[in-house]
Amino acid sequence: MTELLRADNLVKAFGSEGGFHIGARKQPVRAVNGVSFSVTTGETLAVVGESGCGKSTLGRLLLRLIEPTEGQVHIGGVDVTQMSAAELRAARRQMQMVFQDPYGSLSPRRTVAEIIAEPLEVFGIVKTRQERRERVAELLEQVGLPPTLMDRHPRQFSGGQRQRIGIARAIALNPDFIVADEPVSALDVSVQAQIVNLLQDLQEAKGFSYFFIAHDLAVVRHIADRVMVMYLGRIVEIGPKRSIYTAPQHPYTQALLSAAPEPDVKKRTKRIILSGDVPSPSNVPPGCSFHTRCPLAQEQCRQVRPELREVAPGQTAACHFAEPNPIKLPVSAPAYAS
Amino acid sequence: MTRPLLKISDVSVEFGPKANAIRVVDSVSFSIGAGEAVGLVGESGSGKSITSLSILRLIPDPPGRIVSGSIEFEGQDLLKLPANRMPEIRGRDIAMIFQEPMSSLNPVMTIGDQIAEALMLHQDLDRDARWQRVIEVLSLVGMPDPAARLGAFPHEFSGGMRQRVMIAMAVACNPKLLIADEPTTALDVTIQAQVLELMKSIRASVNTAILLISHDLGVIADLCERVVVMYSGRIVEEGSVESIFSKPEHPYTRGLLQSIPRLDDDRKRLYQIAGTVPMAGSVKKGCPFYARCDLRVDKCAAEMPPMFEFSKQHKAACWVTGEAEQ
Repeated sequence: MTELLRADNLVKAFGSEGGFHIGARKQPVRAVNGVSFSVTTGETLAVVGESGCGKSTLGRLLLRLIEPTEGQVHIGGVDVTQMSAAELRAARRQMQMVFQDPYGSLSPRRTVAEIIAEPLEVFGIVKTRQERRERVAELLEQVGLPPTLMDRHPRQFSGGQRQRIGIARAIALNPDFIVADEPVSALDVSVQAQIVNLLQDLQEAKGFSYFFIAHDLAVVRHIADRVMVMYLGRIVEIGPKRSIYTAPQHPYTQALLSAAPEPDVKKRTKRIILSGDVPSPSNVPPGCSFHTRCPLAQEQCRQVRPELREVAPGQTAACHFAEPNPIKLPVSAPAYAS
Repeated sequence: MTRPLLKISDVSVEFGPKANAIRVVDSVSFSIGAGEAVGLVGESGSGKSITSLSILRLIPDPPGRIVSGSIEFEGQDLLKLPANRMPEIRGRDIAMIFQEPMSSLNPVMTIGDQIAEALMLHQDLDRDARWQRVIEVLSLVGMPDPAARLGAFPHEFSGGMRQRVMIAMAVACNPKLLIADEPTTALDVTIQAQVLELMKSIRASVNTAILLISHDLGVIADLCERVVVMYSGRIVEEGSVESIFSKPEHPYTRGLLQSIPRLDDDRKRLYQIAGTVPMAGSVKKGCPFYARCDLRVDKCAAEMPPMFEFSKQHKAACWVTGEAEQ
């Protein structure tokens, strides 16, 4: 498998520039803090984590929709972060995005044909009206919408259908790499499965890679090849899907997996309950940033930040107590002080 | 059988001008026993939130109105009660928790005052006893150092903590029924797990009945004993969580359960229900799920199926599975 994308030590700090401040000057928020990983061709890497962990910021950094504070992103061997505006524009052909909100991400004033054809026109792929309509029809069919609807406006479609339109726009240029930011979480449950299946079918047919941002661990387990878990701007664990789900090494991964309620009455009892909230990204705890909520935290964890290290083939975790002596968390610890 | 705490019979709700009203809730009947936790599950437009709002008569009128049925709470029909007596019920006997804790708390009032307000309206306590009770309910919901946080404003709390404040406010007067409309949807998974544990412990300590409205079948399975499934304004299936989750009888419930990926399954493709959720009130005749159903027969388009009984604890409105069972 060839490497398609590589991120090296990516950092995004917000609020670090000068400017006008009232009161005490705040520490910059490092939303993404030293993240490195790679994605191979045709692979789906899913990133999971709770709000504020930096997963969406990371997705935007990969496409250089926002500028990184430090670090590089290579796509197909070329450093995206060093490109000029013109080079970046050309490179965007290979990288596309599917957004979470199918209502906010499509212009309400344009027809479906105009929305889907825009990238084709920008890159001069379609020249005549006829060509344009043919290509749009083809794309609509690929995402399971009748081409006869191409002159309608987004408001005439349901949420699931709008998400299909967003996907058609993303695949119009035959990209190599698609960032999908929570593409199914705004949809009704009975429609989610349709979109998940569609995303998988398209990948099989076209062979592109997904960077799949999600918080629903069951969806991720279904769609991902590898899974990356983030907490407060850093990767705490990354590895092949099977190892992450069957042998999670980091206590946060373990807690996250057990916290998701499943539609199964028999699974009611076993659950790890973390105490407390996710700390604010502007005030990240020293040492291991998870130590304030980790039931197993030791003095060492408060002082020294654990580096990512390999705990099993292809699986790395940032915990002092991961392999060779992994610690299993006790289940159903009290959720609050009584 | 003892009288249920809440008995909803044949309730229909319409919106819009009378001449071409849209029926968003259609002949809904179910009941909740004292201390029981019932889940009301459905997708957008299924009418689940409108059903819950109609219990407290909180449907904005106009444009909405309850056009038929009765809602008996402890034997008294709430729909026949004069409107000016509803505030006595709201907050005291029946309390509600909303999805968005930020927009349902008052941003310019301290949380202590907000919780005390409910007590002031419904309970005859002197000032000291009232503040004592506020501190008590805040510690019940796991607020660290409650006495010190009374003067804090909602924006000073995280989403999970705000939802705890909402729950404290709702349980302050020991309601007999707690209606929770998507109480954990806006929260992160680990915080959701905390709030679900909290709701279980509250239920155990104050013995309140719960009506949990959710689109998340996992949350329902976690907290409830019974579940009512709504689709396009109608109840399509009802029963104990055990029997519905292990042997759903309505094709919609079956499809829904099959279409959700599980943490432990290895299917290559997910089962998908074709089509999209119909607009509320758009299906005027026959079964609302007809257009998307794998099992449909001609009869389904013509006539809405009644609730067939599959067991004492399990009913579903489907001609095909229902008649096969008889």
